[in-house]
Amino acid sequence: MRVDVHPILGNAPTGKSIILLVDGRPIKAIEGEPIAAALLASGRRVLRHTARHGEPRGLFCALGRCTDCVMTVDGQPNVRTCVTPARDGMVIESQVGLGRWKHLPLEKEE
Amino acid sequence: MQKTEIAVIGAGPAGLAAAIEAARAGAQVTLIDENERPGGQLFKQIHKFFGSKEHRAGTRGVEIGVDLLEEAKRVGVITRLNTVVYGLYHDKCLGLACGDHSEDLQTQAIILATGASENVLAFPGWTLPGVMGAGAAQTLINIHRVLPGRRILMVGAGNVGLIVTYQLLQAGAEVVAIIEGLPVIGGYGVHASKVRRAGVPILTSHTIVSAEGGESVERAVIAQVDNRWQVLCGTEQTLEVDTVCLAVGLSPLAELAWMAGCRFSHVPTLGGWVPLHDQDMQTSVPGIYIAGDVAGIEEASTAMEEGRLAGLAAAGTLCHLSPEVGEIKKSEVRDRLAALRWGGFGEGRAVAKRQIIEARCEA
Amino acid sequence: MEDDLLICRCEEVTRSEVEEAIRMGLRTVNEIKRFTRAGFGLCQGKTCGRLICDILIREADMAPSEVLPGTSRPPVRPIPTRVLANRVSKEDE
Ligand SMILES: Cc1cc2nc3c(=O)[nH]c(=O)nc-3n(C[C@H](O)[C@H](O)[C@H](O)COP(=O)(O)OP(=O)(O)OC[C@H]3O[C@@H](n4cnc5c(N)ncnc54)[C@H](O)[C@@H]3O)c2cc1C
Ligand code: FES
Ligand code: FES
Repeated sequence: MRVDVHPILGNAPTGKSIILLVDGRPIKAIEGEPIAAALLASGRRVLRHTARHGEPRGLFCALGRCTDCVMTVDGQPNVRTCVTPARDGMVIESQVGLGRWKHLPLEKEE
Repeated sequence: MQKTEIAVIGAGPAGLAAAIEAARAGAQVTLIDENERPGGQLFKQIHKFFGSKEHRAGTRGVEIGVDLLEEAKRVGVITRLNTVVYGLYHDKCLGLACGDHSEDLQTQAIILATGASENVLAFPGWTLPGVMGAGAAQTLINIHRVLPGRRILMVGAGNVGLIVTYQLLQAGAEVVAIIEGLPVIGGYGVHASKVRRAGVPILTSHTIVSAEGGESVERAVIAQVDNRWQVLCGTEQTLEVDTVCLAVGLSPLAELAWMAGCRFSHVPTLGGWVPLHDQDMQTSVPGIYIAGDVAGIEEASTAMEEGRLAGLAAAGTLCHLSPEVGEIKKSEVRDRLAALRWGGFGEGRAVAKRQIIEARCEA
Repeated sequence: MEDDLLICRCEEVTRSEVEEAIRMGLRTVNEIKRFTRAGFGLCQGKTCGRLICDILIREADMAPSEVLPGTSRPPVRPIPTRVLANRVSKEDE
């Protein structure tokens, strides 16, 4: 649900259209917008599940402070998707709890 | 190690104004913000501001932001975006994190203009996707141009709740209701009548009981409360909404001031714990200044004036202004600040601010 | 049950767990944090900190001015240790 026309802000600036691979499925995004905004525009609100109760979580502060929106981006876990710009071809995966490093089994995150 | 004379942390209205003023006086200024774009809260404010002419009433926050940015560039402020000040160490050294690396920045004076953080409310279902801060919704619609949902319940009828409601309508969402726990609307009358005219009911003495849904919000239950915030049985109603926005107040974001060892005072009218500061916006730690919402929740206009004051004071301490000239300039700013803290809403803040300054002087 | 209300979103700590800590005599946000892990999450208590203060004020009958927020420690944002370890020192030009 994008806000294409706006009475004060006018038409949405046109950006470069890119593709993100989200849990194996391609979604359209605009280059440079936060990953979480692209996901929301594509209708996806659940970004991850929690460790203890497996509850769904989504965007909460949109300012990079609450860490509810973290996902695994290009193999790196716990990336705040509300402040991380989308780039073409990014691989984004939901995570459970604090997630794990992908492709780098030897590196340990605290 | 990298060095700068004055580091300003936070590029909102307070930080921008502080950086401009200090650079104009001849200081070497580095302005740091964690975001991709400078402006802080200003760029989300697409409505016309209230206040006096000198304070650009009738101008939209966005336009004020653009002007400040140009001015900062013109006077030679070094701006570092996408950079988090992650720590503040002894001897005014800052830890910066930027992209894939971190750096130290040695400063001679620091101006903290880190703004505020949104308060939250815990109720059953508050962790469901679809429950979010009103500021989050505002960022989504006005900056990223994406709707947080289609049918929205706004919790809180202060200025933030009222303004964001109106902006959600402008962006094409439906706001089903605004609820407010207190028996009266906290925000300005002009904003309240605007949303009412647009057909949004404002239910005072109402609270949210729960948000419900499977994987995200599908409905919310609200109810009437008595004057002790107890839910009145039988007044519950279910609203079909997919989004609940929380606009329940702001607190100064003062983590770096705590880290620096500044002394604080608890002042409810200014949003909670506020670093003590003197007439020059200097905290109890010499050389560390504060301005804007971190010095007590107010408005963009007061944030800019406090920023100017802190910028002048910091530049003065580093001998870029003669004491006489500095004092004249600072007293002009103080007069404008006093004029802003006026009327029903401003009076309380003026008193609270005076107490903060007195407490600092006694400390 | 309302007592199962989550207070700390990151560590999934409930109100009853926080209240239990207060019943055991803990009176500061830092103590409650160590005991329940509320505030120990990725956000470092940015979201739950004020809620914990409010519970202390209510349950322990303390004045708001007696309840200090938890200690702020660097890093104030969740910055990966990899970034902190990659310390670049540029010389001033
Ligand atoms: C919805 C809403 C509507 C409003 N409407 C009005 C209005 O009509 N009129 C009015 O006068 N005021 C209004 N305000 C208030 C006004 O926006 C604020 O008072 C003002 O923005 C405060 O300015 P500031 O510079 O202190 O903080 P901010 O604008 O919040 O800027 C602080 C900046 O510092 C950054 N920062 C924080 N910590 C760090 C760190 N450690 N490292 C790097 N960067 C950091 C933040 O990310 C942010 O960019 C409104 C506020 C809101 C939320
Ligand atoms: S939504 Fe809060 S950090 Fe992203
Ligand atoms: S909400 Fe408690 S640590 Fe994040």
